[in-house]
Amino acid sequence: MLFNSLKFLIFFPVVVGVYFLLPHKWRWAWLLGMSSVFYMAFVPVYILILGFTIVIDYFAGIFIERSTKWKRPFLIMSLIANIGVLAVFKYYNFLTENINLLLHTSGVTDSIPLLSILLPIGLSFHTFQAMSYTIEVYRGNQKAERHFGIYALYVMFFPQLVAGPIERPQNIIHQFHEKHFFVPQNVLDGIRQMLWGFFKKVVIADRLSLYVDPVFNDYHSFHFLNILIACGFFAFQIYADFSGYSDIALGSAKILGFDLMINFNRPYASKSITEFWRRWHISLSSWFNDYLFQPLMIGARNWGRFGTAFSLFFTFFLAGLWHGAGWTFIIYGSLHGIALVYEFYTKKFRKNLSKKIPSFFYQNVSLLLTFGFVSIAMIFFRAHTFADAFGMINNIFSMNNSNTYKWVVGAGELTFNHFSWAISGFCLLLLFITEKFTSPDLKSLNKFPRIDISLGIIVFTLILIGGVFNQSSFIYFQF
Amino acid sequence: MSLEPNSILETLNKIWREELDNESIVLNDSTTASDIEDWDSITNIQLVVATEKFYKIRFTAAEISGFKNVGEMVRCIKKKVG
Repeated sequence: MLFNSLKFLIFFPVVVGVYFLLPHKWRWAWLLGMSSVFYMAFVPVYILILGFTIVIDYFAGIFIERSTKWKRPFLIMSLIANIGVLAVFKYYNFLTENINLLLHTSGVTDSIPLLSILLPIGLSFHTFQAMSYTIEVYRGNQKAERHFGIYALYVMFFPQLVAGPIERPQNIIHQFHEKHFFVPQNVLDGIRQMLWGFFKKVVIADRLSLYVDPVFNDYHSFHFLNILIACGFFAFQIYADFSGYSDIALGSAKILGFDLMINFNRPYASKSITEFWRRWHISLSSWFNDYLFQPLMIGARNWGRFGTAFSLFFTFFLAGLWHGAGWTFIIYGSLHGIALVYEFYTKKFRKNLSKKIPSFFYQNVSLLLTFGFVSIAMIFFRAHTFADAFGMINNIFSMNNSNTYKWVVGAGELTFNHFSWAISGFCLLLLFITEKFTSPDLKSLNKFPRIDISLGIIVFTLILIGGVFNQSSFIYFQF
Repeated sequence: MSLEPNSILETLNKIWREELDNESIVLNDSTTASDIEDWDSITNIQLVVATEKFYKIRFTAAEISGFKNVGEMVRCIKKKVG
């Protein structure tokens, strides 16, 4: 079920209403049932995959806690089950296609058959959240959950089931045991954050996509400036889309009385790629930091600086692969890995340089360079093929002007016209100003009720007049 | 080499200042990474390696990821060296 659908507009108030009417002891069952309904709105049968990993990880958690000798084997079993599901449903075809290509180039005519399956929605999110649980139980930071329903709810809680934030058991499991009361302030905070999320999704992201999609789908027909603008727009589109989703997730959980972790904190205010990953998709970057990068660094600490550089690159190589089974995603992650290695090796040099250059100039150039790098790297994220991504970058840097520049992009109802320019410009400015003063969760608006109400009215009006209501899916749903 | 907790803390203070290139650092038992600029997941391991070299000890992976603050590291060093 999409957050930006009519179904959800009916579903969510019903869930909230019944939730607060039910006695505490039955609320977990209601949330679990409704989370199943939410998930099954996509491909119902895939709930069996969730069920499979939930059963394995539930028992693995208990056995890891009880056993001393078999702790590690039970953890490995849990990790294999989760990674195995990911490998089959997400990476099998990619791997097989590449093996087949290798076989064909070496003269073998037979092919390994591909699987004809749809990728289960949110698979990378809930498998990572499940792995977080068994790892934390193994490390002794989390008690194994004995209540099967509560554990299942930890994996399936509908606000964050299909696109995160990828929660940690220490943050959320205890909240499922606690009794939550109907708190008007929570409802106000939650509705405000949900409204802000809807605004970012339907007004900013979906409108910018009217420009981005035609250019990325047929970049050969566009002037290099159109391609350059499309890349910048995509950086804002994906931010508005994904952080908008997180806002709706956090807001809807808040209304029910739950606090989910912050997932975005003004990433485009970053002055380095290192800072960018502390502000962008925080629940994923901290997952990779805690469970992959840190163990790798600890293991490779005798290799000196090379050990750190290797750990950084390898972590981001895998983070790229996490996003999707394709070379474009691997390049996307690797580019970030290379940038982080560069920043690691030049840290002292850059620190000294920043002391010699006027601060205002250094800070703003760093900010622009960071945004430029992120936007260019995102071409690989968005482009259909490797060749398309390189073609677009080549056209930008060679300033290819064989096509005329177009102000209006697209056709028919899906045109990015002068109205779109005006509304997008205004909304991006509103986004910049609002988040500069209220990030990461808009709660500071509680201190300024007049601004709060005015902003609410403006945002609601903008959704009505500037929203693109084609119920397009969220970009990160594909992962 | 003195193994009094205060002496270990002083030594760690010197290591931290040198590794993070910051003479204003003052560590105490409850200091954590969030209290000190530039002490992040990358520099953390450099601090661990420098500490291991100085005391000629080896922390386990579980110990390193389990340190909640400087005080816990001091106690671990005391246990290993003493």
